[in-house]
Amino acid sequence: MELYLICEDSLEGIFTGIYEAYALKRSHQEIHLQVGEEDNLRLFSEYRSIQADSNKAAKVARTINREFGQEGFMAVCRALASNDAKKGDAIYKMVVSGLAMSDPRKVMSNLANEYVMKVFELARFSANEAHFLIEFLRFKELENGILYARTGPKNNVLTFVMPHFSDRLPLENFVIHDEGRGIYGLHPARKDWYVVTEEEGRESVLSTYKLSAGEELYSELFTAFFHTIAVEERVNRRLQRNMLPLRYREYMTEFQLSKDRK
Amino acid sequence: MEICISESTTSMDKLGVLSDAAKYDVSCSSSGVERKGDGTGIGNSAAGGICHSFSSDGRCISLLKILFTNECIYDCKYCVNRRSNDVPRVSFTPEEICTLTIEFYRRNFIEGLFLSSGILHNPDYTMELIYQAIYKLRTEYRFQGYIHVKAIPGANPIIIAKLGMIVDRMSVNLELPTAQGLSELAPNKHRKTILMPMRQIQQGIKQNKNELVLYKKAPTFVPGGQSTQMIIGATPESDYQIVSVAENLYQKFDLKRVYYSAFININEDRSLPALPGGPPLLREHRLYQADWLLRFYGFKADELLNEARPNFNILLDPKADWALRHLESFPVEVNRADYQTILRVPGIGVTSAQRIVKARRNGALRFEDLKKIGVVLKRALYFITCSGRMMFNTRIEEDYITRNLLTVKERLPFDKDGVTYQQLSLFDDVNFQPESGWASKLIEPKSVVYGQL
Ligand code: SF4
Repeated sequence: MELYLICEDSLEGIFTGIYEAYALKRSHQEIHLQVGEEDNLRLFSEYRSIQADSNKAAKVARTINREFGQEGFMAVCRALASNDAKKGDAIYKMVVSGLAMSDPRKVMSNLANEYVMKVFELARFSANEAHFLIEFLRFKELENGILYARTGPKNNVLTFVMPHFSDRLPLENFVIHDEGRGIYGLHPARKDWYVVTEEEGRESVLSTYKLSAGEELYSELFTAFFHTIAVEERVNRRLQRNMLPLRYREYMTEFQLSKDRK
Repeated sequence: MEICISESTTSMDKLGVLSDAAKYDVSCSSSGVERKGDGTGIGNSAAGGICHSFSSDGRCISLLKILFTNECIYDCKYCVNRRSNDVPRVSFTPEEICTLTIEFYRRNFIEGLFLSSGILHNPDYTMELIYQAIYKLRTEYRFQGYIHVKAIPGANPIIIAKLGMIVDRMSVNLELPTAQGLSELAPNKHRKTILMPMRQIQQGIKQNKNELVLYKKAPTFVPGGQSTQMIIGATPESDYQIVSVAENLYQKFDLKRVYYSAFININEDRSLPALPGGPPLLREHRLYQADWLLRFYGFKADELLNEARPNFNILLDPKADWALRHLESFPVEVNRADYQTILRVPGIGVTSAQRIVKARRNGALRFEDLKKIGVVLKRALYFITCSGRMMFNTRIEEDYITRNLLTVKERLPFDKDGVTYQQLSLFDDVNFQPESGWASKLIEPKSVVYGQL
């Protein structure tokens, strides 16, 4: 009988699921990892909820890191950030396939394996999106000097972009808000960054702050710069659209203002 | 005096004038320098460069590209800032430049600053002003992001040397491909004074590299290298002359990049070409393609063009054009030919060629393998064999292949008819992606477009 292990959508949840799958000592082919609840329960299948357990997760993390090395481990971490419902099973089966290889460190070059390929693709998509955020994310300065960025990434990439901005803005208090997931990356000046989750039904205090006095000026200055720097004789909106996907523009200062005006 | 007048102007006005005047400079690249922040200020730098926006002309915005002043004592015919133009003149103060850079950078609008300038009073005076602004930005504001400055021809080498220690990239614009073109359009400029600072920067970089070998912590001199720019189509030089000049700049001056800028007759100067069809974008595009062939494909300028055939084919990219004129070297056997030979096949780019050489060690490659590797078969098939066989029964015949290649529509970045932009057909690795690094986005293809990044 097919067995579905239902785990929480987090590193801890999925790694615990992998731990439990191994503990069952059954054929891996009969076991599936599922992230979150399933709407269409399959007949003749058993479903079991897995409680995330940080000790078990840590053991799995150590094994992956030791056996697959940095490259494989990072690919798994990036795939974990994906919003694809199949990621749990892909990672689980990729771990199984990788550990069966004579040199597990080469796991990521085994792209002929469908699970490795899936993890590779998920990881690439997350990495790409993290890079888009690094390019196109915009901070606004609030009245208390905090820099605040609204974002809406498809994948859970907040933890991938926080180190970049922390290195570049060490003396700033800044917040990156993933609106879709209700999570915040916080960086207090001169300290380490961390992530907090929004409390259900409670609006964040951030929304009560006004923008700083200088914010309007610099938004307008940049928007003006953005328009003057284009060479009219070379206008090419299609090229622009290919380089800068429309879905990011909602959050970008230079597109905000021009839209408001028109 | 000028600065006094300009102080009454708002920063909005100044930014408007001084970014408008800077926009014809092509480079907006922030690449070539990897530097972490030191925790005491603001900024860092990423080796691959980061674009922060794309303007309506599709070009990458990476740096705050502005002039220090649009005052100018010279009268270059092609330039908005020329002395004889009746335009409002403004200048930034070093303080204003610092504030703008920092405030833009904090909001993640930019990677850094690209500061150029008209010539106020004389080259030394202007260069000194620029130095003051950059020095302030680096020391008082502890800015560690990317800085690109123009070295002003004729400025004292001592200031240029000082400036080189605190910036990432420097450039001196060649302006026009030949000395004759220069003397016609920029009568106050001389080829010699342009090449002098170029040489100085080249030697500075070389010397600094030796120092860095001896002493790791030695301060770096222009770590991002130097670049230059030529205006295309204002003067009658041929493509052959232009490509030869570029080749020389790469070989003899170790330039990182040569940029080409299709001429726009902003001043509607009657002694300059009128160009009713708009700026020569296709020509500029062909030059960029040829530039890639020089830098990454092992081609020499006089293989691509010569005195008898001094201009690129409008219809075909320079690589396909070369192949069609050298059919005697085809077909190439992909399972045996060396890397350099494979690299010359139309439809095979740098990444695919590398993959072929690596993959064939595990056994002979078939056409379907080539496709997976990223080879554009519909272009390559006329020029290759796999284990002795061609893909179809095609003839090695110039007219026949030319006709077939032309039916594969080349995608140009500036097509008006709404053709989707893809990678330029010369860079045929369709799924070319840097394979590792968590920011493994398609950085290269972006950089291809008008040589940005
Ligand atoms: S020196 Fe530079 S700014 Fe002055 S007119 Fe010539 S090109 Fe323009």
